[in-house]
Amino acid sequence: MRVLITGMGGELGTRVANLLEADESVTEILGMDLFPPRRRIFRSEFHRVEPTDRRKAVHLVRDFDPEVIVHLGVFEPHSRTSPSEARRGTAASAVSVLGAAAQCPSLRSIVVRSGIEVYGRSRGAPTRPDESVPIAPTSPFGESLAHVEQVAVEAGEVADVPVTALRFAPIVGPSIPSPLGRYLRLPAVFVDPVSELPFSLLHQEGACQAMVAAIGAGYDGPLNVVGPGAVTATQAVLMGRRIPIPVIGPGWLAAGALAELQGAPLPPHSRELLVRGCTADGSEARSVLGIDPRSTHDVVAQLYRWEIVDHPAPTGQVAPR
Amino acid sequence: MSTDLLRRGVPGAQALSQVQRRARGAYDIDEWGLDPELVALANPVLGLRWDIEVRGADQLPAVGGAVLVFNRRFGISEPWVLARGIRQATGRFVRTVGVPDVAPVGPFLRRFGGVLDRTDEIAGLLRAGQLVGLPMSRDLRSRERVGHLEVERLEAALETGAPVVPVALVGRELGRSWTIVVGEPVPPVIDGGPLAAAELAETTHAAAQILLDESLPTGWWF
Repeated sequence: MRVLITGMGGELGTRVANLLEADESVTEILGMDLFPPRRRIFRSEFHRVEPTDRRKAVHLVRDFDPEVIVHLGVFEPHSRTSPSEARRGTAASAVSVLGAAAQCPSLRSIVVRSGIEVYGRSRGAPTRPDESVPIAPTSPFGESLAHVEQVAVEAGEVADVPVTALRFAPIVGPSIPSPLGRYLRLPAVFVDPVSELPFSLLHQEGACQAMVAAIGAGYDGPLNVVGPGAVTATQAVLMGRRIPIPVIGPGWLAAGALAELQGAPLPPHSRELLVRGCTADGSEARSVLGIDPRSTHDVVAQLYRWEIVDHPAPTGQVAPR
Repeated sequence: MSTDLLRRGVPGAQALSQVQRRARGAYDIDEWGLDPELVALANPVLGLRWDIEVRGADQLPAVGGAVLVFNRRFGISEPWVLARGIRQATGRFVRTVGVPDVAPVGPFLRRFGGVLDRTDEIAGLLRAGQLVGLPMSRDLRSRERVGHLEVERLEAALETGAPVVPVALVGRELGRSWTIVVGEPVPPVIDGGPLAAAELAETTHAAAQILLDESLPTGWWF
């Protein structure tokens, strides 16, 4: 099986590549991304491609003629790129790669990364939507993800192959760049205790396991992948022994600016999550993919356990003990 | 220190322990916002406000979802009375439908089990095995008549196969004594089809009215 992984330079992409490299039924893996892989890859081939370089992306996809496309080329605002770059990169990558893939004769299935931000959190929106709830994003990141899903569905229709859209809860883990993770780890964290609603998280390893399971499942439709349980922002901050600073309404403008000064800018979808909550019913994905993601409580607990940072000794020196 | 106090049976040690746990964030909250520990903390205060007798609690399933259709007059006390009464009788939480999605009222009521008035929200709760309290419309003129039941909301019960149980609440808005009478589950609609929800609503409405008629005291002062 030939697998094309977009976004291989990200934490998820590299890990998915490593997992697929261990699978003997996967004969060839081709990866592409703006950034180089985060860890060593063994038998995958990587190409550095700018998301806006459509000609190069289309050429690579057509030449490789993949059987499965794993589209992880989604850029979260303030994760590693600015919000405008993230929006442009996500849209361009989806259109060029999935558009080219639709014309590949060997294509059998498409798996795309999406997020539960596509459901939106407008007033009166369902608290814990399942996959049957129509999407109505209320943040720029949610709109970007909805666009990716739409492009993938169109490509799937053209190629007549199943499209699995994995709607991940916000992904947090020990090494994944996440604006929410950065924000919650500040020494003092702004929260809205009078209006906050619970949110669910997903560990990065759970997201990778779901991606790999989806390749084999060939499911056609969206699946919510969510860590069981939920926490509120205040609860998470207390679990991390941080100082919660109450803020309401327009106070969030100042709170956002102060967080940005401390190196943890808060994109709209993360702020929405802290105030309006963000969760979804993940039972269908657990049943279809046979996965068992870590609970949201565990994910939060692990978020605050990265207290020790290993500083490798410079070459030729021995680390002090 | 609080563990030591708890072991020695010092008065107030349990409350102190709960407060300490909350300060560490070591408590559970579900996806809809219910905070069971907060409900337990508020229990003594709620006990001062309402004295509730529950009849027929054995009609409720011990596990799994069910829709409890209940009457209300002003609708202020009834959701609290139903939730507290059923919790006392069965140990299960009731998720009452009808919370406004406006802060700070909405999030506050969600901590005590309130949920939004949406069919997909009710279906999600039933799939998760929760008891859902579905109020009929208010009837301010008479306490002897149950209100209108919204048909669309019962589609969630049909979709998930959860039983629908009529419940009569008898009491005064400003009074302390309330009685909850739980009726027999309404037989499920076998045929399905577009009329299924309407027929289920009609049967449930009639069953709730009979239950209320039988439960209301006959004294002239009531």
